Amino acid sequence: MIYRMHSLFVGILLLFSTSIYSLEVIEILGGKASEIPIAILPFEGFKNIGGQKAHQIISSDLNRSGLFRPLNTSGISNPPSSDININYTKWSAMDAQFIVVGKVESENPILGNIKITWSLIDVFKEKTVISMRYIGKKSQYRAIAHKVSDNVYEYLTGSKGVFHTKIAYVKKVNNKKYSLNVADFDGYNSRPILDTTQPIISPRWSPDGEKIAYVSFEKKKPVIYIQNLRTGKRTLLANFKGNNSAPAWSPDSKKLAIVLTYNKNSQIYMINADGSGIKQLMRSNAINTEPSWSPNGEDIYFSSNRGGSPQIYKINILNDEISRVTFEGKYNLSPSISYDGKLLLFLTNDQGKFKVAIQNLISNQVLKISEGPADESPIFAPNGHLVLFTYKDYGKTTKIGTVSINGLKRLPINVGNAIIQEPTWGPITN
Amino acid sequence: MNIPQFNFDSIRNSKFFVILESDYNLQANLFSFLIHFALFIFMIFSIQWQTKIPNFAEVELWDAVPTQIKNKQIKTKSVKTKQIKKTRVLPPKIDDQQLKLNEEAEIRLKKKKAAEKKALARKKKLKEIKKLQAKLLKQEEIEKLQDKVLEEEKLDNIKDKLLEQERIEQLQDSIRDDELKKKPTIAIEADKEVLAGINSGELDRFKALIQQKIQQNVNNQLCGLDRVELEFEISLMPTGDLLGEPKMTQSSKISSCDAAVERAILQSQPLPIPNDKELFKRLKDLKLKFHPNGHYDL
Repeated sequence: MIYRMHSLFVGILLLFSTSIYSLEVIEILGGKASEIPIAILPFEGFKNIGGQKAHQIISSDLNRSGLFRPLNTSGISNPPSSDININYTKWSAMDAQFIVVGKVESENPILGNIKITWSLIDVFKEKTVISMRYIGKKSQYRAIAHKVSDNVYEYLTGSKGVFHTKIAYVKKVNNKKYSLNVADFDGYNSRPILDTTQPIISPRWSPDGEKIAYVSFEKKKPVIYIQNLRTGKRTLLANFKGNNSAPAWSPDSKKLAIVLTYNKNSQIYMINADGSGIKQLMRSNAINTEPSWSPNGEDIYFSSNRGGSPQIYKINILNDEISRVTFEGKYNLSPSISYDGKLLLFLTNDQGKFKVAIQNLISNQVLKISEGPADESPIFAPNGHLVLFTYKDYGKTTKIGTVSINGLKRLPINVGNAIIQEPTWGPITN
Repeated sequence: MNIPQFNFDSIRNSKFFVILESDYNLQANLFSFLIHFALFIFMIFSIQWQTKIPNFAEVELWDAVPTQIKNKQIKTKSVKTKQIKKTRVLPPKIDDQQLKLNEEAEIRLKKKKAAEKKALARKKKLKEIKKLQAKLLKQEEIEKLQDKVLEEEKLDNIKDKLLEQERIEQLQDSIRDDELKKKPTIAIEADKEVLAGINSGELDRFKALIQQKIQQNVNNQLCGLDRVELEFEISLMPTGDLLGEPKMTQSSKISSCDAAVERAILQSQPLPIPNDKELFKRLKDLKLKFHPNGHYDL
């Protein structure tokens, strides 16, 4: 009886196994770094507010990310403004995988408020995947359009968009006037938070978004200030003997790593944000500089010439263990870590040209994402998908621009004709 | 004349009296035994009498029987008990024979009437039971009929499905023929090569063509940096287009990656498929395993 049961069981197993193996399996390894084709149609209603059109702002945002390919929709007559009566065959023929439609209406004429109703439509699945409405002042028109970009970006990439974030940079006019400016991520709505006749370098936005630390030469030598962005009040963080430079915030915004030449050579120290509790992190005869805190709060990446030429190293602040991180290239400096801790951004000297490079900290593969020849100050966007850096415009003026982490999309940030340098990127805020 | 006198003491002391005394014990024992036996017999009779009750209980079980019948049943029961009581109560009269005869006649009449009533009640009950039985039979018949109808419906459905399947297959064949006539693609060349039947080389070739077409559309920028794996199952039409939507059987746990791979499959339509029927059958249902970040490419 048991034998019979066993044979029956084996029979059933065989039956199932034959049905499983009858399905042909195809393995697909890898893919292609492509862009999502998306049609962002002109919004119905207000043609533009202050010379700006919502669909153009959204197109520009998504295009900059390097993950989208906005399609040319200028020649389309009577574009739909809602997800009703969408001709999917037409959009599919245009190679659009997604379309954005919307309309702008006057919400409260007395207050001057506007209402933007918009939808994201999946052309393959022939359905609306996002439908939202924003109400705000006319002056917030660009901000609302950036929010729409963020929503589309997050839905399709799974990561938060950075189109509603701020950047800060140093503007230099005629070598006499310096200002620390804050602007939208695309350079619009720029305003100075500090004007001075002395150089400003190394601004760093705190992860909580409240403050900016920077190095000023106001005291005839480099000292570190922290400026509160809400109140405008600033405090002197470090004015020790020698040079005080390269501030780097800890992930909790409570501490900073700074560089002092207290004992001749540049050495890295840790200090509380209120200026107390200074502590030297390492002692070495070599130069140790440009600290950058990892998101886990335990490792600090820095550049050092301890091995002969400048390379990137890291120190674990819990056990003081130091290890080398970059091995490709003879000259690597200015480290910055992505917000997930998986990518290292740095500047590399590639046959005399300074280029921005990314090292995958899992596989240790390196990819150069800029062309050079004099690129500087690379810093990650808060979602780690874009890089902000400075470059020489035709070898003359220093400008800032963004590059996608795959290096495929490089675009300038237009902030006027002045010399723009030392950029920093603010966090994603609600 | 000498009259013998009884000496009680002597009698009491005699052996006979002793025997007699022991006989009393025996009698008492016998008497008690008889009493117990009688009680036992009575108990048996009483049990036998009670065993008849279930006949009534059987009647009680007919829930569907109208309450009237139930009441009548109870009435007949009471008449019966009254009858028994009367027969017991009537005192026999030896003197007046005529009266006795009359009374007996009356009793008989009453008995007869009671019997008739009882018979009528029984007849009614039987009728009701028969009606019920008829109803039940009808219900059974209805149920049987319903079952038959259901079975027939099922059979019809199966037939319809089979017919539809045949129709779809015919349609697929006609589409395939049309496609063949319209655009002589790689598939035709492949057909020529595989006229002899399925060979694994051809199967692998088409698998490679499908792999190549889908891989070109996988946007691995949306799959993060970690090594991820995901699986989809698809069914194909003879035109190379998808039959229904791709079914994800294993997620990468990155929603944007899952969606990107699904889009890559949809975008790859029509997929290159052979025109050979046997070979197509092998590729009709596919399992697609994706490794978008197979190597740690940036």
